[in-house]
Amino acid sequence: MSQHKDIRVLLGNVAIARGILEAGCHVITSYPGTPSSEIMPAAVAFKKEMGLDVYTEWSVNEKVAYDNALAASIAGKRSAVAMKQVGLNVAADSLMSSAYQGVVGGMLIVSCDDPGPHSSQTEQDSRFFAMFAKVPAYDPSTPQEAMAMIKDAYDLSETFQIPVIFRPTIRLSHGKQSVRLSPPDIIERPAKFEKDPGRWAATPRFRLHLHTKLNESLRQIQERFEKDERWNYEVGENSEANLGIITCSTSYTVLTDLLEELNLKDKVNILKIGTPYPLPHKKVVDFIGRHDKVLIIEETDVVIESQIIDKSKVLGRFTGHIPLQGELIPNVIYGILAKFFGEEGVADLEVKADDELAKLVQDLGLPVRRPTLCAGCPERAAFWAIRRALPEAIYTSDIGCYTLGLNLGAVDTVIDMGAGITLASGFYQAYHQDKNDVPIVATMGDSTFYHSGTSSLINAVYNNTRFILVLLDNEITAMTGMQPTPGIGITADGTEGRKIPLEELVKGCGIKWLRNIDPYDVKEMISLLKEAHAYTKSEDGGIAVIIARRGCVIRYPEALEGQEIKVEITDDCDGCRYCIDHFECPALHFDEENERAEIDRKLCVDCGVCINVCAQKAIVPVDEEGQ
Amino acid sequence: MMRMKTQIILAGVGGQGVLFSSRIFSELGLKLGLEVTGAETHGMSQRGGSVVAHIKIGGYQSPIVRGGTADILYSLDENEAYKNLHFLRQGGLCFVNMTDGGRFDKNIRDHLKKKDITFHAFDASGMAIELGSVMAANICLVGFSVGTGLVPFTYDDLKDVLQSISRKPDLERNLKIFDTGVDLGKKQ
Repeated sequence: MSQHKDIRVLLGNVAIARGILEAGCHVITSYPGTPSSEIMPAAVAFKKEMGLDVYTEWSVNEKVAYDNALAASIAGKRSAVAMKQVGLNVAADSLMSSAYQGVVGGMLIVSCDDPGPHSSQTEQDSRFFAMFAKVPAYDPSTPQEAMAMIKDAYDLSETFQIPVIFRPTIRLSHGKQSVRLSPPDIIERPAKFEKDPGRWAATPRFRLHLHTKLNESLRQIQERFEKDERWNYEVGENSEANLGIITCSTSYTVLTDLLEELNLKDKVNILKIGTPYPLPHKKVVDFIGRHDKVLIIEETDVVIESQIIDKSKVLGRFTGHIPLQGELIPNVIYGILAKFFGEEGVADLEVKADDELAKLVQDLGLPVRRPTLCAGCPERAAFWAIRRALPEAIYTSDIGCYTLGLNLGAVDTVIDMGAGITLASGFYQAYHQDKNDVPIVATMGDSTFYHSGTSSLINAVYNNTRFILVLLDNEITAMTGMQPTPGIGITADGTEGRKIPLEELVKGCGIKWLRNIDPYDVKEMISLLKEAHAYTKSEDGGIAVIIARRGCVIRYPEALEGQEIKVEITDDCDGCRYCIDHFECPALHFDEENERAEIDRKLCVDCGVCINVCAQKAIVPVDEEGQ
Repeated sequence: MMRMKTQIILAGVGGQGVLFSSRIFSELGLKLGLEVTGAETHGMSQRGGSVVAHIKIGGYQSPIVRGGTADILYSLDENEAYKNLHFLRQGGLCFVNMTDGGRFDKNIRDHLKKKDITFHAFDASGMAIELGSVMAANICLVGFSVGTGLVPFTYDDLKDVLQSISRKPDLERNLKIFDTGVDLGKKQ
């Protein structure tokens, strides 16, 4: 990457992967999800580069990933599991229990938070999970600090035989920094499971004992964090300053740059907290004691603030000094400081947004570039068919690229992974109870189905529900960056695994009506959907499943070779904009001057699907010979 | 020579090579022995949405640039330029890739003038297409800025960086596009 061998500019997630390998980790598992997805590919790249014998696994979901890493740690190895913050919800059952039972080899739970949120359902703060489960949390501020912290986290994890939560925010995960690399520690750890049923198979009676031990471990960990000067330290010894700020994560770095920029470094002392749970409370109380007022700037929620017992001098979210939602970007922290310093009479910071510019730009009425399915995406074709075949249906959907079926009016609900099916069965029962059956079409991607579709589908079949399930199988986990699935049977490091076709799973769930289709064949798909609908209504009917299979156009561009249908727009186009507004292919745009639709040849992949869309039949295949 | 501290915003839409430009400047920082931080857009936004990268060279801690403090804005798209102008400081520099610079909103240009922001627009995409790759408009735009002599990076340093990070088959073409951009910038 650069000519300086041991200094590289790395993405935060890449630095985290590097740190995990440098700490001598043996087993790394993950399920992709923004902002965590880059950790696993980076771990694979580094293990190949350094010739390390590390087991890397894309697991089918976060709970499965967690348990596989946990087993390695119970057998004495070092493990890491990486996921996005809502993934930890899926793995929460394992987390809560394993906090009591602990680990033998070190275990790092990397849970990447997404304040903003940029690409998530919630802004939840993973550090709360640390409090909830009673495991320690590390909260790095920079990629370089993350790498160093990971080594300490493994040491702590093994010293106290406890899993450790490591919480980067998106700005660290997707931030870049020049970092110094070290060679990896090589730790010999043959797997050795020591049987101990009172611990590894603990019944409730033993659980009370384990909880007692856990509380004692936490007390000792807190003492270690109190003494620690690497992650919890004061910045600026301004004995004159009577104001303090306690901060952590990326907010610490933003604050540092701001105080430098505003030349206010000598007006305030900072206590930087890198281990928010258990909070080094004495250190915090001592810091607060030496100041008149102390502001707590932490992302995303009140983890540090709520652990402070005497809040009489403390300002933060509880006092309305910090926003309760949204990301703490530099201008937000600037506003927070302006209020804080203003109230305390230290500095009068002008909040000088360029309103005039904002208004001028607003007046331009620029088009909002909302995310959209790619040109030629087979999911767009499938959604189009669904909308046409069953326009009155309730459309339950799920998490992935296909969430963008929203833009085509073919997605009504997105809750969490798996809910595409469970909401369909739930809606069915709610309406059926009133003897008012309505058509319901659930959509779910292949990776989501492997993640959490089967238990939902088994439940729906078992309880006699009726709806149509369209599995959008693009043969990859596309949204998060093309991770392989069990459907194609390639594992995290590119070696061959075993394929598990969706058909076998669906049949195994008890489905009796199953059809496959290429969604590019829009007419056929519409008639298949109608057939499926008839099945859900028939006397012996049930759930109808359609597997709409065509590889992602970005991942498998070669799949179209030889099947291209080049289209053109004829003079029959009356400029109604229907194709642009309702089909929303990026390759179709409106020529305002000539008031008609046009094809952007740079983006068009010649899938030919839009031929089905125009009511005027103005989108037609190019007649190559006639030209 | 490069000022100790420089903050750059790179804007465009998915697929225009914003992340490659971000790499040019982060490697430049490394080469000069300066600390580099920055931020990138990943995930959902990459599906055809706006992409913005922040690069901060020389002793910054935080990865993101505060509104009103960026030294330079490079935008590969006219609309994305409007959306990111608020990052520029008084006296900052703005380089926009658009076919006809004269079409850039006049009121906004006047406003930039009031803030002593130097504005340059030229058809980097057209030039890059002529020289073999629309994807290299970013390199052309950076070259242009070096040609104007207004930015704090040198021709030689950037050329070295391009040599070290370009894919082999692209190298010759990238350097040609860079040089063409530089020549155009000099004529300003």
